[in-house]
Amino acid sequence: MSDWGFVAAGWGVVLGGLGLYAVTLLRRLASARAALADATPAAGAVGEPARDTE
Amino acid sequence: MRSRVLGLVALLVLVIAAVNALFVVPSDLNQGDAQRLMYVHVPSAWLAYLSFGVTALAGLGYLWKRDLRLDAVAVSAAEIGVMFTAFAIWAGMMWGQPVWGVFWQWEDPRLTTTALLLALYVGYLLFRRLTDDPHRRAARAAVVGLVSAVDIPIVHFSVEWWRGLHQTATFLSPDTILNPPAPVPFRIALMSMIAAFTLVWAWLMIRRYQLARADMELEERARRSRVAAARHVAIAATPAEEAGR
Repeated sequence: MSDWGFVAAGWGVVLGGLGLYAVTLLRRLASARAALADATPAAGAVGEPARDTE
Repeated sequence: MRSRVLGLVALLVLVIAAVNALFVVPSDLNQGDAQRLMYVHVPSAWLAYLSFGVTALAGLGYLWKRDLRLDAVAVSAAEIGVMFTAFAIWAGMMWGQPVWGVFWQWEDPRLTTTALLLALYVGYLLFRRLTDDPHRRAARAAVVGLVSAVDIPIVHFSVEWWRGLHQTATFLSPDTILNPPAPVPFRIALMSMIAAFTLVWAWLMIRRYQLARADMELEERARRSRVAAARHVAIAATPAEEAGR
């Protein structure tokens, strides 16, 4: 493999990995926030247990 | 909104720095284009140190203040640090093969102590899953994070203390301050990539911290829900028990 092959493999995994992690992180955050918003009314109801969000 | 602006600025700086490092800066006289791997290897290693340093400090802060927000900072930095350590190892392997003739050598102290650093913090993340109690988990993780941080200076100074394939430290070495090892364009490219990666790291930290806080809130609500459900069962069971007596 040429020098540029190693450069492409190194840079590609690092930048690609960063992008993939960022996208996954945003999706995990959106999912957690949606679960929080979903659970809020039930948690505030008097005498009723909050919905289990696990 | 501010973190969105930070994310856009980080992305812009990263694109400019990457184009400069890949296509503008000349190739090295001895190493050729393989030397361009330095521009992702060194920033990744720097952010691994920074992340694990933050994990240790936040853990120490938790043990002092017992504030779960500090535990959220610690776990966020640890997860991101594991990613950057893996990037540093990968980019180093890709650089090592054309320059040293091998991807990896276990006898090299820098390589081996860095692999140990990765294993320690993967262990830290796994260790956190052993208990559901947030304060117990935070306290135990803080201790593991502090003990694991001992490896950070060992990794950094391993190239000064022992002989191996790896070159001596790029930064924080007395020799390189007085006699810079690289021409100015190389140093500018490296510094700009370090700045770009650090901006990306800051944005990732903010988002990961927000996720950790949301997870903690969900965990707390689920715990309250289980307690409330158990009370309902207890209240509902009481008349039946009375009738049975």
